[in-house]
Amino acid sequence: MIAAIIAQIFISLGFIFALLGHLGVIVFPDVYTRLQASSTCATTSVISFFIAAMVDSGFSVITGKIVVISAFFIVSSPVSAHIVARYAWSRGIMPWRRRRQ
Amino acid sequence: MTPLGKWKLTRILFTILYLMAGWLLFTGSVEPVSLALGFGFSSLIALWTYGLFFEEQEAERRSLIPRVHLFLVFVLVLLFKMYVASFRVLWYIIRGRVNPEIVHFRTRLKSDTARVMLANAITMTPGTVTIDLDQDHLIVHWLEAKTTHSGYAGRLIKGSFEKLLKWIWI
Repeated sequence: MIAAIIAQIFISLGFIFALLGHLGVIVFPDVYTRLQASSTCATTSVISFFIAAMVDSGFSVITGKIVVISAFFIVSSPVSAHIVARYAWSRGIMPWRRRRQ
Repeated sequence: MTPLGKWKLTRILFTILYLMAGWLLFTGSVEPVSLALGFGFSSLIALWTYGLFFEEQEAERRSLIPRVHLFLVFVLVLLFKMYVASFRVLWYIIRGRVNPEIVHFRTRLKSDTARVMLANAITMTPGTVTIDLDQDHLIVHWLEAKTTHSGYAGRLIKGSFEKLLKWIWI
């Protein structure tokens, strides 16, 4: 019962993060800020789904498999974001800055 | 038995152990046939590939194997900070106004693995993306910059990650 409620909370969190993360891609001005919105919020949402699945399945083999999957995800997701940012940086794309008064 | 031979045996045994753990996780059964099959294939693969996973010299041992209990603490701290920062980024998206800056700072970590983990942790926390990591010099894109001063920005962004990582990988 409690596990189901926690899982539902995490699934709704993941839903909110995914939705607003992709809204951020439209709202933000340049490649770096858009990357921040999409990649990092998407990471949080996927990890929320993983946590929800772990809580829901309890202590079993499935949980171990999800732990392995999330370990791979935690390693690979920041690297892909970093590669996109590094490519933009090495191409000489200047980051957008707010104009100072 | 020479020390090098002993270390070689240890390497093979550890590889078998890790492979067996993976086998148990993915098959999910403890029947004798399955266990024997897993052990056979683990030993075969371990004899083939143990040189890839562990260095030949025993002196490398301390820098390779992290302290697992502190690593769990690190993962928990990372998840907590990730959620806190995610809510902050959600607020920036709703507000629609950000103040991005590029900041440069240095890290005191010595081990390459620890530096990569620090860069990954910084990218994992929403609001900061590591653009480049060159030796001990990090270039970070910060979504809502409070400062451009190198030392202060470094302290704010690295936070407790650097201290924890220094404990994990010597």
